[in-house]
Amino acid sequence: MRVEPAQPCQFGSGESLFGLYHPVAGPARTAMLLCPPLGQDMIRSHRVYRQLADALALQGVAALRFDYFGTGDSAGPSDTCDWTRCVADTVAAAAELRARSGCSRVIGFGARLGGAIALEAAAAGRMAELLLWDPLLDGHESVTRLDAAQEALRADPMRFPAPRSREDAADQWLGFPVGADLRRQLDGWRATPATIPVRVFASQPAATHADWPAQLGAGSAVVALSSTASWDVLDRLEHAILAPDLIRAVGDHLRAAA
Amino acid sequence: MSTERAFRFGRAQHLVGVAGLPDAATPAAPVGVIVLNAGMVHRVGPFRLHVELTRRLNADGYPTLRFDLSSLGDSSAADEAGSQAQQVKADVADAMSLLASHAGCSRFVLLGLCSGAQNAHGVALDEPRVAGAVFLDGYAYRTLGFRLRHYLPRLWSGSRWQRFISRSLQARASQGDDVFAVRFPPREQVQRELATMLDRGLRLHFIYSGGVTRYFNHPRQFRECFGRLADRPQISARLFAGSDHTYALQVDRQRLLDDIATWLRDNFPISGGSNP
Repeated sequence: MRVEPAQPCQFGSGESLFGLYHPVAGPARTAMLLCPPLGQDMIRSHRVYRQLADALALQGVAALRFDYFGTGDSAGPSDTCDWTRCVADTVAAAAELRARSGCSRVIGFGARLGGAIALEAAAAGRMAELLLWDPLLDGHESVTRLDAAQEALRADPMRFPAPRSREDAADQWLGFPVGADLRRQLDGWRATPATIPVRVFASQPAATHADWPAQLGAGSAVVALSSTASWDVLDRLEHAILAPDLIRAVGDHLRAAA
Repeated sequence: MSTERAFRFGRAQHLVGVAGLPDAATPAAPVGVIVLNAGMVHRVGPFRLHVELTRRLNADGYPTLRFDLSSLGDSSAADEAGSQAQQVKADVADAMSLLASHAGCSRFVLLGLCSGAQNAHGVALDEPRVAGAVFLDGYAYRTLGFRLRHYLPRLWSGSRWQRFISRSLQARASQGDDVFAVRFPPREQVQRELATMLDRGLRLHFIYSGGVTRYFNHPRQFRECFGRLADRPQISARLFAGSDHTYALQVDRQRLLDDIATWLRDNFPISGGSNP
């Protein structure tokens, strides 16, 4: 079966958000909103998101990929990316997906902080279910980890001939400027149990997600993936993440649920 | 003011890109700027470099297009026979036609980092609509001067030895795994091709980063590589020795953007506009 070409689109207030709508041949039976992660995770997982959207289209599931304000091709400089705005953009994207696909049933998908944003936007975006890939559920932990990674990048001998000053590296996370608002909002955020079914696809060792069921609620289930995504490995900061097992697992889940 | 518009375009409607179009009231720019993929990174560029760059140039009055070549980012394959070089040329030709139809420009500056610089070189060689190119970590070759500057200081510096060994070990550990790895043609060929471009009146700007000290480590090396060619007024070279290959720090990106904007303004001024 042939994949319909994705349609670039601009939507939201002042058409400030960039998206790619993946239509299906014929009527879509359901639709999936693909919420990207933030920063370098977004660049690294771009290929997987495209492959997932193409695979979904072959299964009759329409999909929308999009960039939050201040990220990717959407309007706004990187340091204006803001947690509240990301959540609002996700709700706007869900409405855009419904309008384009004609489907009222929308499933949310998100990797890393994209999973956290999908979780936060699920109620306002009227999502029926969430599929999360290695989600980050503790904002304070994320801030601490990103600060440490930025400090390591600053002194990385593979990147810089000599360590860079703290001033040069300040207010950035792994290549992206970070506004004070995003830092504060993320630092104070922690996942609360969802009221809709949540399925988590975990590529990391089981010990790292032992408390996910408690954090995500009784309706959550964890599926272990066979390969480990190298999200936090500094040496692989500019390597694309590949995850054929994730794409298969999401497809299997949707087939079983149909 | 400028606006950005997303397009699907190309001979097989297989390419995806975002055009930055300065306000209609802005005086017409003499060139449009087309930004090519850096390695496998989609059109936003490493750390969103291409977004920051195109918006900066739009603010200066230049129309821009950042797009994905066939099979990269969000673009599909064109499903046609031909070499990769032919495909890149056809894709860039499609990109120029798109920007020409929406911004009215008929001449173009190509910009690329790493493999993007190589692709820009290949297209600039015989595409008549190309008026200039900016090559980020493009072609250069080790010279005697390079070797002296590279090895001599290490003989007496313990910390340099330590850093050298650390980098070498890490590089060996990730051998064959370099996401931005490229292969250069012989120097004589590149020298000949650059001369051809200059003879056609193209303006060329080379910018090297500290991320390629394995083959370029001093501004003087450009002349050591390319001889008297480097003295011609339409060609220039810069070295940002402290920056990494993909400009991961904002302060480095800002310096790079300033340099490119200044070069563009000096070589392709917008008459009657806000640019001096």
